[in-house]
Amino acid sequence: MGGLPKKAHQLESLRGKKSAVLALDSGALLFKNEKLPPDQREQLAVTAQGIIAAYSTMSFGAVGVAREDLAAGLPFLLTVQKKSSFPWLSANLLSRSERKPWFKPHTLITAGGLRIAVIGLTAQGADSLFTEKDNAVIAPWEEVLPKEIAMLRDRADMTILLSSFPAPVNRKIAEAHPEIHLILQAGNTQGNIAPERINNTLITQVESQGKSVGILEVLWNKQSKRWEESGAENLLTDKKNELDRLGWQINRYRKQGEPAQAFKNQPQMLAVYNDLLAKRRLLEEEILRLTAQQKARETNRQRFSSYSPHFETMRKDLPDNPAVRAIVDATTSEVNRIGKAAVKARISDKTGQPQGGLPENYAGSTACTSCHVPQFAKWRATQHATAYDTLEAKGQQFNVQCLPCHITGPAAQTGQEMLALAHDLRQVGCESCHGPARAHTLQPAAAKAGQPTMDTCLRCHSGEHDDRFNFSEALSRLRCGGD
Amino acid sequence: MNRHAVFLLFFSLALLSITMPTAGDAAQQARPPVRHELSLFFANDVRGETEPCG
Repeated sequence: MGGLPKKAHQLESLRGKKSAVLALDSGALLFKNEKLPPDQREQLAVTAQGIIAAYSTMSFGAVGVAREDLAAGLPFLLTVQKKSSFPWLSANLLSRSERKPWFKPHTLITAGGLRIAVIGLTAQGADSLFTEKDNAVIAPWEEVLPKEIAMLRDRADMTILLSSFPAPVNRKIAEAHPEIHLILQAGNTQGNIAPERINNTLITQVESQGKSVGILEVLWNKQSKRWEESGAENLLTDKKNELDRLGWQINRYRKQGEPAQAFKNQPQMLAVYNDLLAKRRLLEEEILRLTAQQKARETNRQRFSSYSPHFETMRKDLPDNPAVRAIVDATTSEVNRIGKAAVKARISDKTGQPQGGLPENYAGSTACTSCHVPQFAKWRATQHATAYDTLEAKGQQFNVQCLPCHITGPAAQTGQEMLALAHDLRQVGCESCHGPARAHTLQPAAAKAGQPTMDTCLRCHSGEHDDRFNFSEALSRLRCGGD
Repeated sequence: MNRHAVFLLFFSLALLSITMPTAGDAAQQARPPVRHELSLFFANDVRGETEPCG
């Protein structure tokens, strides 16, 4: 949640420049996955509540309920939504017995002199997210959406859908319901998706992991409720570019002298030149016709609505919004306190001594130094050797969401195991790249240590954490030269 | 002029003043349709941001 204060700054800055700003989120806001590891639940729940507090401070207009938001259970989201200043929307998350929605299906917001209806849809998935006691089911969109749209038709000037369904489903929704003017998608995507128009619906999405925010500047005509056609402008631009290219070709021929004279003995060249001239005449006529059409459209343009999209990257040098920074700091501090308390409880449960355990087959980096002195010295100079220290400096060394990439050990460690890890493994040590090496320390010749592959690095240097990671470059920089 | 004719004259004048378009009405008809300005700020997925650990 480190990027939230920057996101708040971006929103505040937009509100300073524009008179009517509406902030919306399609969901997958609280949790990364649909299921939570049980021993991380407490820390993740605190983080989720911090995100809700930040979004409330940022005055979001509405948020859609995505499947990931239900990872801590339906009762958890129903409870924390009471602390949200914005509505959580889902028209199709229904009680199984009465088919009534558990959340608000839609909300009506007034902004810029417009009444805007915002509807939420939760994606259906292969697995049920609910227990028998939850009495909940995610209904197909076809069951709920027609009723919602019919109810809102005369009450809203514009209709927006927050949908966590995948793109192909959203396209079907757009084809079936041109009354929806904009669909904002949630879910994983590699890059920002510029608005795609289907009938009278735009579908767009910001790339996931909060790396960008999307801004859609709209000029909306509430009488026609229709987006303007934009294809003709593109055609005129294409034709003008084609005319430029033809002009350049014609000039190349003219540089050789007056063509009739210069190509007197080259009839084929003269024929090509004359052909280019004929093409230019036709193109000029077509551009004149298209320009006249565009002028007529400009006069008519006010009758339709227009949009201009742009995506802003969450740059690290953006300033923080102080109020949201304070919420994030308080939340991460509380998350760390929970982890620390878990460690203390574990110590007092047993011998009263810190556990300091080595996972099975691991030896710890110190065991490597007896034979690999220069390699160990090289490693000590890398950021891997201080990975745990950076967490400690930020007061996050007990945060089990952060620990996996700052310690050495098997990928599948539980939160409790990570918190009780031996001191010698509290950095990204030798065995992070070369694998568990206890056997190698016992029989160096018989049991060779492994070599890192790209997958080894991608466990942490994934797009989520390090989207500029280059395996070859990293390997040449970090190669310790050991055998 | 009898009273009936006077009444008809006044009635016609009153009807005319109600139905005749005013200068304001003409201006309203000529005015281009209003378009409302709105900026939509939208986000996707807070979890796993560039600095996930604070």
